[in-house]
Amino acid sequence: MAKTMPLVGNEFVAGFRLQTEWAGLIAAAFFFGKIGAGLFLMSLYTGSKVGALTGLLIVLIGKGGAHLLYLGRPERFWRGLTRPRTSWVARGFWAMMIMAVAGVIYLAAPAGTAVWWVFQVIAGLSAFFVAVYDGFLMNSSPAIPLWNTALMPVLCLFYSLLGGTSLSLFLLHVGAVGLAIGPDFLANLELTLILTNLIVVIIYLLSMTSATAAARESLRLLLRGPYALAFYSLVIGIGLVFTFLLSYLAGVESGAGVVSLITAADLVGHFFIFFLLLRVGVYSPVLGKLSI
Amino acid sequence: MHLGMVIDLKRCVGCQACTIACKSENGTPPEVLFTKVVEQVAGEYPIIKKKFIPVLCNHCQDAPCEKACPTGATSRREDGIVMVDHDKCIGCRACYVACPYKNRIFIKKGALKTGYFGRKLTPFEQVKYPKWQEGVVSKCTFCVERVDQGLEPSCVQTCPADARIFGDLSDPESKVSRLIRQRGGYQPLSENNTEPSVYYLE
Repeated sequence: MAKTMPLVGNEFVAGFRLQTEWAGLIAAAFFFGKIGAGLFLMSLYTGSKVGALTGLLIVLIGKGGAHLLYLGRPERFWRGLTRPRTSWVARGFWAMMIMAVAGVIYLAAPAGTAVWWVFQVIAGLSAFFVAVYDGFLMNSSPAIPLWNTALMPVLCLFYSLLGGTSLSLFLLHVGAVGLAIGPDFLANLELTLILTNLIVVIIYLLSMTSATAAARESLRLLLRGPYALAFYSLVIGIGLVFTFLLSYLAGVESGAGVVSLITAADLVGHFFIFFLLLRVGVYSPVLGKLSI
Repeated sequence: MHLGMVIDLKRCVGCQACTIACKSENGTPPEVLFTKVVEQVAGEYPIIKKKFIPVLCNHCQDAPCEKACPTGATSRREDGIVMVDHDKCIGCRACYVACPYKNRIFIKKGALKTGYFGRKLTPFEQVKYPKWQEGVVSKCTFCVERVDQGLEPSCVQTCPADARIFGDLSDPESKVSRLIRQRGGYQPLSENNTEPSVYYLE
């Protein structure tokens, strides 16, 4: 496939075509799913019930609400549970349901009991699934080569953990939760995860440079095209570099204001990376380039 | 039986008669095209070459849209035709994103209220629109109502250049099978392993 095929908006002309159906609301659903599941997982680790409840609510209201708003027929949403054998949408839906039920039972059960342990494990596993399934969903689409990579679930996992850590630190510093572990550990984890995310993003982008022509066209849009400014400023600049520098130089001990700023910057980067990856998704032309 | 289509790109003249025949047969709302002819141009004046490529749902035998559908609204008949049950579709558009050929159409909310001419539906639109639903995904069915009566899809019947040939791909003596064999018919984006039932001839 020649790289000189045009990116076309006119549907009667052959060329690369932008994916236009999954955008803002799907990006919001992915965002809320990952930060909610990340916060829930981190709260299981830190022993914060308020954090776990907040994570659960973010997943149910934020992710569930965004998905419902997006559906063309929201009144039939329950039908989305019927094909988990082949559909990642259905698997994600099931994971959310299991996470909700198991999470509520875990939060309601007395700590240390058998029920508490069992449902903590079930809720934790389903939260992990909620955190990564967006990546499998995107990876499973052969139509958009930019998404069709095994690195997508990895990217989702690390962004989810980073979001969960940032929100845990935020809740800790605004006095909403008390943690069973020291805040220094969370602060160091945050720094490590920011660096890890930066490395994963770079590896992901590098892997796309040797992918199909459609993936390279997506990469061109993201790195040199109309979405480059948003990518460099919001995803890399604010989401990773600014967050890292603020966390490293000022540190979370600087107070709730700085932690709020770190969390906000991290969430901005988190939302926009998946929003932009959705927006720059490009379909391959149906047939190859015509030559004279 | 495995129904499929062969498209002879040497014969297509880009008249869009198939596009209109499809709209006429199915009565689809504005912006909904189950088939169309896209054009490709190479070179610069005066040395220029133009190719017309009719596109439609490829009725893949390993259809990613069918796998992606969380409700079972998309299914494949025994004769290979991939169908969408509008009553089961929730409008998540997972199939739309999964189709490598971008040949699925989302019928937007409000699309069935105004029709082609603004405020009021024409009598034709009033007859045709009840079979569609807003907020769901739809696509070409190879004119399944016609096929079930032993007729060819409307686009095939209409094509003035005989560029579209419809038939049974599982029958080695059918016209489609012979054309594929003799002229090296190929499937679009075959690298995706979706096993399309539409073949192109150069």
